[in-house]
Amino acid sequence: MLLTVGGMALWLGLSDATLSYVRAWLRLPLAASGVVLLALALATLRWGSGKEEEPAGHDHGHGDGGPRSAWLLVVPVLVLLLVAPPALGSYAASRRAPGAGGDPSGDFPALPEAVGGAVPLPVSEFVSRALYDRGQSLAGVRVRMLGFVTPADKPGEGYRLARFNFFCCAADATVYEVAVRGDSTPRRADQWLLVEGRWLPEPVAKATAPSTRRPVLIVDSATPVGPPADRYEHNLFAF
Amino acid sequence: MGATRRRPRLVDARLLLLVIVVAAGSRGLVSGLFDDPALQTWSTIFVSITIQALPFLVLGVLLSGAVAALVPPGWLARALPRRAALAVPVAGLAGAALPGCECASVPIAARLRDRGVSTAAAFAFMLAAPAINPVVLVTTAVAFPGRPQMVVARFLGSLLTSVGVGLLWLRLGRESWIGRCRVRAAEGQNRWQSFGATVREDFLQAGGWLVVGAVAAASLQVFVPRSLLDLVAGNELLAAGCLGLLAVLLAICSEADAFVAASLRQFSLSARLVFLVVGPALDVKLIAMHTGIFGRRFALRFAPLTFGVAAASALLVGRWLL
Repeated sequence: MLLTVGGMALWLGLSDATLSYVRAWLRLPLAASGVVLLALALATLRWGSGKEEEPAGHDHGHGDGGPRSAWLLVVPVLVLLLVAPPALGSYAASRRAPGAGGDPSGDFPALPEAVGGAVPLPVSEFVSRALYDRGQSLAGVRVRMLGFVTPADKPGEGYRLARFNFFCCAADATVYEVAVRGDSTPRRADQWLLVEGRWLPEPVAKATAPSTRRPVLIVDSATPVGPPADRYEHNLFAF
Repeated sequence: MGATRRRPRLVDARLLLLVIVVAAGSRGLVSGLFDDPALQTWSTIFVSITIQALPFLVLGVLLSGAVAALVPPGWLARALPRRAALAVPVAGLAGAALPGCECASVPIAARLRDRGVSTAAAFAFMLAAPAINPVVLVTTAVAFPGRPQMVVARFLGSLLTSVGVGLLWLRLGRESWIGRCRVRAAEGQNRWQSFGATVREDFLQAGGWLVVGAVAAASLQVFVPRSLLDLVAGNELLAAGCLGLLAVLLAICSEADAFVAASLRQFSLSARLVFLVVGPALDVKLIAMHTGIFGRRFALRFAPLTFGVAAASALLVGRWLL
């Protein structure tokens, strides 16, 4: 069992697939954990598990290879092998309220420099600025964003550009969405797009009011692209 | 009857190998079966919880193995104040030294107990470590910019919780509630073999129960729509109760729950503090591990006790500071 889990951890630590689930910096600890577990497994095979005889009549589910609950460890391995779960996509996005974070004081730092005529921004930062920046730093600025398509609630309303953002692991991911207008090409759900356009200004939300509004982007161009290696953003700024 | 050395049963290992190989080989055939997006989303969340916890669990069992095999018995008990009522807060504060996931703290607490630390102090440590370590405090500061009182409130609330539960256990707890028997190292083994055996045992046991917790957390995340929350945000007490319950059900890592709490803007700061204090102390992942390591009788009593103390601490501190 240790061999299996250790092997899985090592493989995950070394491959890009992990980025669907956790942050990049976890890869080294994962690989290290894998090595530790594998070493432990090999040591056990070599020297035996060294456990004392258990008194008769004691039922605590200890098998020779370890406690019975250890069998459960095979479940994540099987899930990884059989289901190969992808990063969170439009299904998960459609089931969650979109996130809205921002500094309650409404002060945001200056926008990054424009590259090739547009300011590249993570979706989560765009949403935060659009909803909470009293300085309205986005007004009139051409921005470029990368995200995936999530269909709107009602058909015919266009689509939303979405991106998940998390700090620890995919389980705490929040989705940030931008309502896209001006692109009449029908788009598939989960299609990744590189869009350029301008924000449609709206009044800034009060800091304490919950905001499930999605800021609107009027796009000039939308290019289908392949998904990036890390499909999530890890933007602390958005909070 | 002396101690015997057993080799792991090869039948078990071969069966496992067979299962893995069949699974790997049949991927192409069954890929159509697992296409349902709900299943895939569930799987992503389940796998991510498990993977995120894994290195911290390994770290935790390495430390617990070190405590069990390398620290002389009784040393720890002597290092803490003799009066149990004093040992509890000291152990709670010591929790600040262990950064990392909640999963690491349970096996460590179990081994601390084996090594002579009083049960109450061990639990105080177990509850405090995931909640007041530097990583968590820093992420809370980042998630609530301009509101340093949240960091202080969280620290105090969690410390109060851990000390409160520890002291209550001193008054009310009974050792008979703890059902698991721990495997002791065989005689005649050197310390490193004992270390290895303990680490292995702890990892396999804790890891299995981590999987149970991750299954529960992933299921709750996928099947409970978050929009339900908007309904309860108005009423203060109801909001606190709901966020406390949510913290238990969602089982978000203590390093990240500050960001989730920050995004719950429709709730008051006090209610969100309840979320932050209850989460690292009690959630489905931890309940599963308590059950596995300390027994079901224990978990059934410990869970409501911890929930109550945590919620009360958070409300008290919130009223005072926020």
